Amino acid sequence: MAQKPKVDPHVGRLGYLQALVTEFQETESQDAKEQVLANLANFAYDPSNYPYLRQLQVLDLFLDSLSEENETLVEFAIGGLCNLCPDRANKEHILQTGGIPLIINCLSSPNEETVLSAVTTIMYLSSPGSGSHPELTAMPVVQCMLRFSLSANTRLRNLAQIFLEDFCSPSQVAEARTWRAHSALGIPLPRTEAPQQP
Amino acid sequence: MASSGGQLGGVFDHHVQRAVCDTRAKYREGRRPRAVRVYTINLESRYLLIQGVPAVGAMKELVERFALYGAIEQYNALDEYPAEDFTEVYLIKFMNLQSARTAKRKMDEQSFFGGLLHVCYAPEFETVEETRKKLQERKAYIARTTKNKDHYMTKKKLVTELKDTKDFRQDFHSGTSGFRAATRNTSSGNSDPCLPYSCELPLCYFSSKCACSSGEHTDRASNFSQDSRNHAETAEHCMHDDSSQKIQMKPLKNSLVCPGAQKTITSSEAVDRFMPRTTQLQERKRRREDDRKTGTFLETSTSSNEVMIGPLLPDIPKVDMHDDSLNTTANLIRNKLREVISPVPKPPEGKLEDVSTSRPLKQRRRI
Repeated sequence: MAQKPKVDPHVGRLGYLQALVTEFQETESQDAKEQVLANLANFAYDPSNYPYLRQLQVLDLFLDSLSEENETLVEFAIGGLCNLCPDRANKEHILQTGGIPLIINCLSSPNEETVLSAVTTIMYLSSPGSGSHPELTAMPVVQCMLRFSLSANTRLRNLAQIFLEDFCSPSQVAEARTWRAHSALGIPLPRTEAPQQP
Repeated sequence: MASSGGQLGGVFDHHVQRAVCDTRAKYREGRRPRAVRVYTINLESRYLLIQGVPAVGAMKELVERFALYGAIEQYNALDEYPAEDFTEVYLIKFMNLQSARTAKRKMDEQSFFGGLLHVCYAPEFETVEETRKKLQERKAYIARTTKNKDHYMTKKKLVTELKDTKDFRQDFHSGTSGFRAATRNTSSGNSDPCLPYSCELPLCYFSSKCACSSGEHTDRASNFSQDSRNHAETAEHCMHDDSSQKIQMKPLKNSLVCPGAQKTITSSEAVDRFMPRTTQLQERKRRREDDRKTGTFLETSTSSNEVMIGPLLPDIPKVDMHDDSLNTTANLIRNKLREVISPVPKPPEGKLEDVSTSRPLKQRRRI
């Protein structure tokens, strides 16, 4: 690309990210918030940005945005978390700041990408063999994944299958199967399974 | 929002091309207009769906064009996929994800046989095993780059202490050179230990700063490769310099700041110690020449008020690079420029990057 960057050349990467965060916190416009959050979530894909993102507390910003009314903001926020959670330091931060319940909540979102990102995030936050965090393989989660594994949506089905095979013990899965006969507690059925649109 | 089922031929939400965002604030507008979209590892895939291919029997050409970006494992037309009249839809599976990402970035919205291609990822074609591998590779990649960065950080901290004071002076001087979009991270940058650029030599410092801050736009996919590309460009740019032997080390150093390409970790001390033998001989020769020319050099630097012929080039203050051979090279260049530019003594001018174009005796091919 021969063009020069349109950003003020005196602002480095950290400054740019700071500007994004500031705009997100101050702007009234939903559009601007979505754009900025998407920008940050995409930056979260590149590991070289992680020190800056941690310094600017962008992880907390993502976690907070999971509770937003605007579904697009939730989708972008969980996408950002999905991008950066494989990193050990980020993972620790998310686990310590109680991010798990927020992420599990995303499993019931009507937005397909949100659910997919949430499943992937949960997988990255657990170590294989269901060792690290018991919440991540609690009964409601496993039941939810069981339902997903029967979904018509290939992407969701694949991810759920990987979760059940790699991150749950067989006994947990068996237990969840017997439980399914009763009313599922904990997580409402996401609408992605029964699409209304043509 | 939900997909219309997993069967082939269904139109998925993530296949739909979104409208370009035109309400972005100026400071965060990218080079190309882009939609508002977040790319996660879920969305990316070795499978690419290509829509809008004109139905002119050009499958072979299409595949060849995409194969430029990496090995293709398989490809086929998707006849059941809804397509506009007279267009076809193809599925191309790359051998590795990075090729697919590059191909998507480059080929999306490109014209092909008179039509505009729309390229998107098609993760729904993945098998469970492929998805699993994809997720694992991402995790491994992050572990690798983070580990390398940690290693680099500890080494960098030693070097930073040595070079910190010199950096500020060099920043100031180099900032006035015409060396590409010079970016300066003033207070927050140099004191921030996390910033991996502060201990670079000046030529590289600004090259790498360019590379870093020019990657600002929504699509992170190009963000990542943008840095690599800019890094490659600036590395080439460095090559133009006369003292190509010394500068050859710069790309090595540049690779340290390139996010995805951290193949070797070399500390600055190691680079400084390493000097090719030929350079030493030439450096001594230049020192001798330089001593000879120093007298004339000093003379002409004071005659800056003479009549100028031609446009006034920006004044370049003498940069003292903490390297003898670079200094001698720079002086040699300045002397040559002085000889060439005019019979009327003028202040020595010339940017390091223009060396190759201003040498009078030998036409140097720009690489």
